[in-house]
Amino acid sequence: MITFQDVVYRALTGPITSGKDYDLKLLVSTSRRLAKEYEITYDPDNPVPNDDDLADRIWKAGVELFVDVGAYCPDTERRITFTSEEINHALALPSGKIKFGSGVDRRTFPRRLPEDTTPPWCSLGAGGCAVSSEFHMMSLIRAYARNPLCWSITTPSLTHVDGLKIVAGSPLEIEGAIRNITLVREALRQAGRPGLPVVNGVASAAHAASHIAGLGFGIEQTDAMEIGAHHEMRVDFDSLNKVAYTLIKGTQIWAENGVILGGMAGGPATTAIVTAAYNLLDMLVLRGSVQHPFPIHFNLRTTTTRDTLWVRSVANQAITRNSWLPVANLGYVGAGPMTKMALYETAAWVIVSVVSGGSIEAEGIAKNAHVDHTSPIEPYFASEVAHAVAGLGRKAANKIVKSLLSKYEDNLADAPIGSPLQECMDLESGEINANFLELYRDVRQEMTDEFGIEFKYPSLYI
Amino acid sequence: MGKKKITAEIIGSFENGDYDQIKIQVQNGLDQGLAPEELLSDGLITGIRVVGEQFRRGESFLPDMIMASDAFQEGMEILEPVMMQAGTERESTGTIVIGSVKGDIHALGKNIVVNILQIEGFNVIDVGIDVPASMFIDEAEKNKADIIALSALMTTTMPQQREVIEHLEARGSRKQYYVMIGGGPTDKTWADKIEADAYGETAVDAVSLALAYMEESKGGDG
Repeated sequence: MITFQDVVYRALTGPITSGKDYDLKLLVSTSRRLAKEYEITYDPDNPVPNDDDLADRIWKAGVELFVDVGAYCPDTERRITFTSEEINHALALPSGKIKFGSGVDRRTFPRRLPEDTTPPWCSLGAGGCAVSSEFHMMSLIRAYARNPLCWSITTPSLTHVDGLKIVAGSPLEIEGAIRNITLVREALRQAGRPGLPVVNGVASAAHAASHIAGLGFGIEQTDAMEIGAHHEMRVDFDSLNKVAYTLIKGTQIWAENGVILGGMAGGPATTAIVTAAYNLLDMLVLRGSVQHPFPIHFNLRTTTTRDTLWVRSVANQAITRNSWLPVANLGYVGAGPMTKMALYETAAWVIVSVVSGGSIEAEGIAKNAHVDHTSPIEPYFASEVAHAVAGLGRKAANKIVKSLLSKYEDNLADAPIGSPLQECMDLESGEINANFLELYRDVRQEMTDEFGIEFKYPSLYI
Repeated sequence: MGKKKITAEIIGSFENGDYDQIKIQVQNGLDQGLAPEELLSDGLITGIRVVGEQFRRGESFLPDMIMASDAFQEGMEILEPVMMQAGTERESTGTIVIGSVKGDIHALGKNIVVNILQIEGFNVIDVGIDVPASMFIDEAEKNKADIIALSALMTTTMPQQREVIEHLEARGSRKQYYVMIGGGPTDKTWADKIEADAYGETAVDAVSLALAYMEESKGGDG
């Protein structure tokens, strides 16, 4: 596989292209042409298609897209391109065993296929949701760590340090990054799981400087760093700087791509192609050990609309059938904590991800748009569903997901914001609100009674 | 060719994404003797609004909006000299300075708003991403803007929206501009806290608010 240094060299010397030409003349026109050539069409009646040939056509289109357009470096206004031979060589390499965590919490990240019975990796937490205090953060981390199905942590994000609001690009961003991972480590120690890996330990950090600060103070080689491209397939120097230092530090990367359905990637068919192409960008440019995709709706800002679920399913199937770089899907639900709707949405995206070959990172709640609107129950429920549906067929999953959609999709535009964390649980004792527990138990039972989902393990909350 | 047929062809080109045809059709319309105002209102404006409606319904996407907007501009480049000569230039809906605040490099949501604003006839000054507070105000002053729109996609860049408002106050020009905010982590409560004039949850909301403000400030009722 070509080296990271080669990638940097290509960012500095590749074909000169304006940003607008890259978007419209290359990315948009090529992805649209490929959708026609490979006869890729969105089918709203089947959010979980059972069609291996469709999956493989999407993969071929994704590879062709990446060969034709490459990634874009806005700092040099050049494209970072790769030949088919280089891509085939990278894909032919043995995947190796990717491990995260230490001590009793050291595990191998699975490569899964559609309908695979292999248990999915469950990275649990807040997906970067902003919390108002260090106390909120530590209470949450302890609650996530109570769950034995939690194999890594996705942390909340601090909004303040020492009473000062964190401002991007300022020294407070550096302190925020270090404080974030330091608090998480301490909370994991308190929970008795000090070796649990953390995959977004610098959640409040946007810039390379604060990523590097976190790597220098608190992030271990056994953790992971989440590093993403910008919309779409743009990798700037700041992202490359994050990659450069993470590689030097010997920490692995979850390469994230929230391809925006309705944005430059266009509609569902082309968004699926772009998501598949990202697998190669993540492997070659961002040097990921895990692809971390979450196709998201441009307007509703959730990953649980019917069309984004279809994209998630077909892109996962395309990628996991053809690439060794495994997938951990992130989810953002529209509804807020302590609502039935949030649990229905959670079940939908988790089922789609797992039966289509992915693992999960759960999750952003209330679109991750409201401070303190997160709770430990939705990610817990996500992990239960994820383990329960490993091995479920795509046809059966399709039927369940359609029923789940009928329960919430009409309400996505006006999704309830739910309740803040301090109403969902006692932050000191960790005790969950009794009404919330009742609601959770009802929905969990509904999953079994209505859809035949058999949970594999007893619940901590029943 | 009939007048209605030419404008219908322009609308059809917008509707079907045949954007390269639009400037040819506009020129053809002028050559056939159609009034430029008619080509503008019944062809270009109606056509681009069709794309806007498709976008609102989720039937077309950001690239279509950008390409439609470019085609609209190309058509205007043909019509404007003729209209200027006749003294019938298109009246702008209003002038708006828009950008992603300092530290924020997210552009997509802001770009969607830019395109819908252009469709609605605004003179849009897009100052880009990672924009310092003073640049928003300098551009607003230079272009005699009505509105300043501030996008922030991260909790750590939200304070920069307040920063722009504080800079406006420091310059004594806060009341001259209608300040709108938007972006993922922002909400009405934050807008109220920093004393912004409006919060747009979605791109479509933001444009509706801008239109409503311009309507109100011009004293019209539609």
